[in-house]
Amino acid sequence: MTWGLLLQAVVSGLLLGGVYGLVASGLSLIFGVLRIINFAHGAVMMIGMYATYWLFTLARVDPYLSILVTAPCFFVLGVAIQKIVIEPNRAAAEHNQLLLTLGLALFLENLALVLWQGDFRTVKVAYSSASFVVGDALVEVPRLVASGGAGLVAAGLFAFLRLTDVGKALRALAEEPEGAALVGINVPRIRAAAFGMGSACVAVAGALITPFFYVAPDVGESFNIMAFVVVVLGGMGNFVGALAGGFIVGLAESLGAAFLPGSFKQLVVFVIFVLVLLFRPQGLFGGSRVR
Amino acid sequence: MSLLEMTALTKRFGGLTAVSNFDLRLDAGEIVGLIGPNGAGKTTAFHLIAGFHEPTSGEIRFKGASIVGFKPHAICQLGLARTFQIVQPFAGLTVTENVMVGAFNRERDAAAARRLATEIVDFVGLSPRRDMPARSLTLSDRKRLEMARGLATRPELLLLDEAMSGLNPTEIDGIIGLIRLIHARGISLLIIEHVMQAIMALSHRLVVLHHGEKLAEGTPSEVARDRRVIEAYLGEEP
Amino acid sequence: MAALIALPPLLPKYHLEVLISVVFWAYLGIAWNLLGGYAGQFSFGHAAFFGIGAYTSTLLLLQAGLTPWVGMFVGGGLAATFGLFEGYLSFRYGLKGPYFSLVTLAFAEMLRVVSLNTKAVGSSLGLVVPSATAAPAMFMFSGKLPFYYVILAMGALALGLTWRIGRARLGFSLAAVRENEDAAEAAGVDALAAKLRAMALSSFLTALGGTFYAQYFAYIDPTITFGPSVSIGALLPAIVGGAGTVLGPVLGSFVLTPLSELTRYALRGRAGADIMLYGAVLVLVISFLPQGLVGFVRARRGGAR
Repeated sequence: MTWGLLLQAVVSGLLLGGVYGLVASGLSLIFGVLRIINFAHGAVMMIGMYATYWLFTLARVDPYLSILVTAPCFFVLGVAIQKIVIEPNRAAAEHNQLLLTLGLALFLENLALVLWQGDFRTVKVAYSSASFVVGDALVEVPRLVASGGAGLVAAGLFAFLRLTDVGKALRALAEEPEGAALVGINVPRIRAAAFGMGSACVAVAGALITPFFYVAPDVGESFNIMAFVVVVLGGMGNFVGALAGGFIVGLAESLGAAFLPGSFKQLVVFVIFVLVLLFRPQGLFGGSRVR
Repeated sequence: MSLLEMTALTKRFGGLTAVSNFDLRLDAGEIVGLIGPNGAGKTTAFHLIAGFHEPTSGEIRFKGASIVGFKPHAICQLGLARTFQIVQPFAGLTVTENVMVGAFNRERDAAAARRLATEIVDFVGLSPRRDMPARSLTLSDRKRLEMARGLATRPELLLLDEAMSGLNPTEIDGIIGLIRLIHARGISLLIIEHVMQAIMALSHRLVVLHHGEKLAEGTPSEVARDRRVIEAYLGEEP
Repeated sequence: MAALIALPPLLPKYHLEVLISVVFWAYLGIAWNLLGGYAGQFSFGHAAFFGIGAYTSTLLLLQAGLTPWVGMFVGGGLAATFGLFEGYLSFRYGLKGPYFSLVTLAFAEMLRVVSLNTKAVGSSLGLVVPSATAAPAMFMFSGKLPFYYVILAMGALALGLTWRIGRARLGFSLAAVRENEDAAEAAGVDALAAKLRAMALSSFLTALGGTFYAQYFAYIDPTITFGPSVSIGALLPAIVGGAGTVLGPVLGSFVLTPLSELTRYALRGRAGADIMLYGAVLVLVISFLPQGLVGFVRARRGGAR
């Protein structure tokens, strides 16, 4: 175990961690406002990645630029899903709502499978293999851009929540649903917006990783689980916690990959997950409504 | 030996002291009323006795043995049953099935449990609705159901938490009658209540809680004349 | 019921396969239902028990020549132990609802990752179960028909068990805990014990299903046995048919399994079409028939429960 290897692991972990953080922020927002655990989050990310892929393959749109198109589109998609599938069932039992998003996830993942088959696809841009060296560690440019971009978007989300009216409405609804309605907040619209924004975030995250991550129907699944772990770790509904948690999970996974054989790195993440759920379910940084 | 004995019972939630240094003795055959303003700590005291919260300090003895740290179901099996301030029926089960859950504490066999449950359902006057789902009951009937479920566990002591809240005068009279019948069966009662006439009429003894502390104790007439109680809770003398 | 016993020998091979599939998923659904429907604890990781059963009996067969008829109970015992461990950890720490579901998912995934990386159990290559020769004593049959009767018997026993439990003390305890855990405790129900009993039974039965699968398909690997397809496949019939009812999983499987076969046939070669359908059905059922098919029929008839 050389310092070089360790440094590399840390760098890789931080780079992917930023993306995890963005994905988790979207999930956290949805949970904070709608109080549901969105199993379909990873599936939306996957569809976002396909959208990026097709825009690139058919119209030669650079993945990063395509965000300008995909982000608003997925906001709309998210709003549509929320209004059509989730909102009508808002009074259903908690476990039923969970199953609802699970059904949605299954539907979307396999729709992709049916439409585009299971073959891995890749987006190869000019800078896909660009990299530079920091000490003994290799930093790949696309990963850096992804992590940086994710951080920017997350920061933007944070600012949005703090500074804009809609953002404040979202936070109000997350904290005090009844009170929010009483002060005149258009609750159904804000709830839809939450889901829309969460979906847009995760689609952006998907677009950001296409230059170096394969595109396939099952991509969403692994990010889904990571997102849950991050959100639980960071605290449900805690956006800053989600970002911090993303880096922690990214590091844990990366260090696990460096030290453990095979795919045992996933085990590290799951163990952390179970431990947090059992011993600190409100997350390391505290979140809303524990159980 | 008292049936229920609490000594210096205290419960703190973080910085808030809900119950402080509460002493209470209840002997078999007694009906003791627990009164006090809202937030005085009465329901918290019930939670402590029934095992839903653990006391910060102090002792609770039931039939001479300590029950501190016991889980609620264990305390119930020892003979101490409780109802909730906000009724908690098993909504999807029928009235009889609700009561059977309690009956299964005393009967392992389903048929015997059903017989016991049916008898109790009859006793509380819910026979006409015995096969109806609990969610379709009126508030008054739900309160009776709650009591029936507790009675089916064949308790020696029954804790009633505001059994009369939300009821109209006729329904209140009905519950008063039911409580008297329960007592006649040999069950002791500790009752939290805000309906003054009812609790004055039923109780052998009253205990007044205020800000988590025992303010006064005595017969209903003694307590009604106690100046501290009047100031804190009952209002000016007529 | 008589039809289920008498008809199959007359069925063409494909139909028999579908029927075996129907009964198999009904069986798994019944097993899941004990924990999910009756106890109200929705497990998203039942594949953990399925896989333990499949791998235990297969490894015992391959390495010790032990007949799967016995191996299956060993697997069941191990699965029940694991279930009790998982359950105790979760319930003792008060995990409920979605948090419990996520933990069960995590445990199933952990087992999948571990088996994927352990050479001793075949890692990603999986294990091939000998099936060339017919040896009924070793749970190996030459045709499909004997397998059908085995799974039918398993299904019938599981159904009977569910029915008995529903009418007995445990059933009432579970219903009480499911409806309102605090009230159940106040009424003398040991919620933790009841949930653990349901968990043990559910995991035991699910593991037996794993052994059946191993013997029937003669091949197992980590993704097949510990993967989400089993976890989801186990809960779907119960949810669609009606969680917490005796016949729910049966009805659910009789509707879902042929539907998925039909979809697979109609969109031939299109992998994933049947699961896509499952996803859509799940969303529709939760939205319009939250009590499942059984609940819908009951409501139509104006029943109480």
